[in-house]
Amino acid sequence: MKNPNGENKKIKILWLSGISCYGNIHSFFNYPHMEVFLEDFEFIYHPVLDSTFSLKEIVNETKECNILLIDGAISDDFHRADVNIKDIINRYATSVNRIVTVGTCATFGGIFKYSDFQSPRGLHFCGDELQTDFLHLRNKTISISGCPIQPEVLVNTLYEIKNQTDIKLDTFLRPKEYYAYTVHNGCTRNEYFEYKVDGHKFGELEGCLFYDHGCQAPYTAGSCNKILWNEQNSKTRSGSPCFGCTEYTFPKMSLYDTKKNMGIPQNLPLGVPKRAYLTIAGVTKAFSIQRLEKKLIDD
Amino acid sequence: MEKKVTKKEQIIQAALELFAYKGFYSTTIPDIASSLKMSVGNMYNYFKSKDILAKEIIKYISIYLGNELKKINEEQISTKEKTKKIVTMYFNIASSRPEMIDYFLRVYLSNREVFKDGCEGMACVSEFVTEIMIFFEEGVQKGELKEQDFFSAFGLFMGYLGGMVFLNGEKILPNELTYYIDDISNNIYNALKK
Amino acid sequence: MIELIEKIEGEAKLDFSFTNDLIDYVKIEFLSARGIENILKNRPALDSLVINPRVCGICGHAHLIATVQALESCYEKIEISDKAKIIRELTLNFELIQNHLKWFYLVLIPFFGKKQDTKKALYSSSLMTKAIAVLAGQYPHNSYAIVGGITSSVTNGDFIKVRSLIDEAILFFQSNLVDANIEEFWECDSVEHIFEKEGDLVDILMYIIYSNLNDMGKSYDRFIAFGGNSYFKKGKSNKTVVSTNLKYEYIKEKLIDYSYAKNVYYKDKSYEVGPLARGMINKVPLIKDAHRKYGDSIFSRILARVCEIAQLLYHSKQLLSMCNIKEPSYIKPKIDIKNITANGIGYVEAARGSLIHKVDLVDGIIKDYTIITPTQWNLGSGTKDNLGIAQNAMVGLSSVDEAKLVFKSFDVCSVCTTH
Repeated sequence: MKNPNGENKKIKILWLSGISCYGNIHSFFNYPHMEVFLEDFEFIYHPVLDSTFSLKEIVNETKECNILLIDGAISDDFHRADVNIKDIINRYATSVNRIVTVGTCATFGGIFKYSDFQSPRGLHFCGDELQTDFLHLRNKTISISGCPIQPEVLVNTLYEIKNQTDIKLDTFLRPKEYYAYTVHNGCTRNEYFEYKVDGHKFGELEGCLFYDHGCQAPYTAGSCNKILWNEQNSKTRSGSPCFGCTEYTFPKMSLYDTKKNMGIPQNLPLGVPKRAYLTIAGVTKAFSIQRLEKKLIDD
Repeated sequence: MEKKVTKKEQIIQAALELFAYKGFYSTTIPDIASSLKMSVGNMYNYFKSKDILAKEIIKYISIYLGNELKKINEEQISTKEKTKKIVTMYFNIASSRPEMIDYFLRVYLSNREVFKDGCEGMACVSEFVTEIMIFFEEGVQKGELKEQDFFSAFGLFMGYLGGMVFLNGEKILPNELTYYIDDISNNIYNALKK
Repeated sequence: MIELIEKIEGEAKLDFSFTNDLIDYVKIEFLSARGIENILKNRPALDSLVINPRVCGICGHAHLIATVQALESCYEKIEISDKAKIIRELTLNFELIQNHLKWFYLVLIPFFGKKQDTKKALYSSSLMTKAIAVLAGQYPHNSYAIVGGITSSVTNGDFIKVRSLIDEAILFFQSNLVDANIEEFWECDSVEHIFEKEGDLVDILMYIIYSNLNDMGKSYDRFIAFGGNSYFKKGKSNKTVVSTNLKYEYIKEKLIDYSYAKNVYYKDKSYEVGPLARGMINKVPLIKDAHRKYGDSIFSRILARVCEIAQLLYHSKQLLSMCNIKEPSYIKPKIDIKNITANGIGYVEAARGSLIHKVDLVDGIIKDYTIITPTQWNLGSGTKDNLGIAQNAMVGLSSVDEAKLVFKSFDVCSVCTTH
């Protein structure tokens, strides 16, 4: 059967899970146009979906494959079906066109860089430390960080690979199209940030979480408030701080507190110099804006 | 353009001196104009009212002090050394250009109604406050100053310096301001350090 | 004979022994552990609300709710609004439903000569994950439940959207799984009534009956559920005798030398957890009838899991209508958690059964954390004279394929087990 574009050949993908929670897999399942996607792509192996081969076949033989997806952290002593994860990566690394690290664990190590395995880390980075053993694969790798990934970001990137689009990447190999934005961009609480209305309380529509509740959105790369989660919402819109899950620093300590030095946030909006930030903050804070001081929806 | 800026500065300097000598309310725009041998009409080309002039002056002082602080902030020295340099800088200005600090203390802080429209909060002193913030923030980040609320530290620092300049202005201090630099710097640093 | 079982949110190994062509023992081995409990140590208490959903991608929300309950139980007194309680329960219900739908269409039906139905699985489960996102920001891996309530302020529009999503899921259930009115289904007290209907669940149940598989997968007939809420009752059931007094002290975890999963016992006995256990303890008429006729077999287990979808959709609709939007979402605790030194326990009914979190705080810092997952209850690997629930259910079967079906009828979650 031909896909809607009249093509016969599907792109073959191997979804290889390392030290993972399967969150990326289930986030991927929220992709709204899965039927169309599965017409264009074929999983030679997927940890949940029916696939062409069994895990045993995949790890012991080299099957034809175009894109290798690595989900979860890797380590020296982690095995899938009794084969070391690094050996499985090496088995497919040279023959595939592209490697995509799916999620923050596969990209930076994420939460599981603290796991009990032997030197757990991402494919090319452990935190922001460059790893050398897969250096030769760097020019074919794309990182889709996030804990979990946004399904559209992953799927769009796979299509861009399929279409041989020239994908511009940032220093952590993330597509700029999705990671040049900060999570702050598009947040419904932006005005409270702009005018430094900092008295946020949980459970309310009003207020910005940057000042007291640890929100990392102004310095976290991601499209969470541009491409909404589950096509509905985002953490910050629903009153939860952004925990910076797309970054190499994830998970920081004290995730619900804003680290401040004498009342001044230690981490400032991405690329904004401290002096500029403080000057603007001082000026905007001076004005009390009635509309933002009261409830949005009054009784 | 250049000329206008210079003229503006001249007006600000003349006004500062008159405010210090005669008091803010007793000084009129014609007084300032005549001290500069300007016509009142020409004066209005620069400042449309005394209130506007008052606000411009505080911004001028804030920028002036802010620049001095910035130089200190950008030096690669310890927070303790910076503290001493700030105290020295402040007392030097209080001695060489007393009208400036005087204006800050006696006009800006004492006549808030003049500044309520357009100089809300710290809007007109932001350059100065920003540098103080940076001084504190970097001190905490380097582990030299203890973490505390900004205003409790700000009040301690600026209140102390302002108080000394005030005592000096009232001719109560037995010694020159500079005599106190070491002790005051140590006191401030000890109160803020980790 | 060692079989690698995959596609169970990870893998496990089953080592079968046969006597006279019948399975007489199965060793269950989980292959790795990630050490989440250690990752939590020495972190500030609230960080666990971010780390713990990452135990699992399919039931991470249950881990969030268990975490917040464990932290809140560290307080002598803490006020949570009814609104926050209801919304937490709703999002947890939605997680259970999406899980059951994925299990049915992706894991179960391939055992009965059908292809995985990705379309149905993901269309229907996405309705529920969308509903969670409306209330909690996103799914998976939100952290909207916090000590004192929830982070979101919910609007009338949000409620309308959630109600529509529930209704759409009800329509899906009725037009795909069982073509019965959901209220009818809720009150139904006879499996024969189900056989008169049409739908994907009915097909599977009929297949089981016609293939004489209805006795397959029986275990000890002992059930337990720790996580009571407005729908689920807390208690244990031995055959049909239900008692409600459960104590944490009687729960014991036990290390196994060949597996990364720990066994767990209540008063030294294995208990089955999950939808069948909940149905028995809640005395759901249809489940009681199935149990009367088919015992704790795969028939009852499958029916109970799918039936729970209908029950939870119906109950969620009622919960939603009870929720007063004007109540606060969050009430700031009088004592900052940074000043709390105490132990707390959270019990939650997750998709696969009872999930227990226990936390020890010293000045708001986590000194110790214990997670006991449902799969540990069901898939404990005991010795021949003290078999775990799933082991006991597999013993006596004649083929590995049958054993795999029985094994997967418990809805195995490898990642949770190897937290």
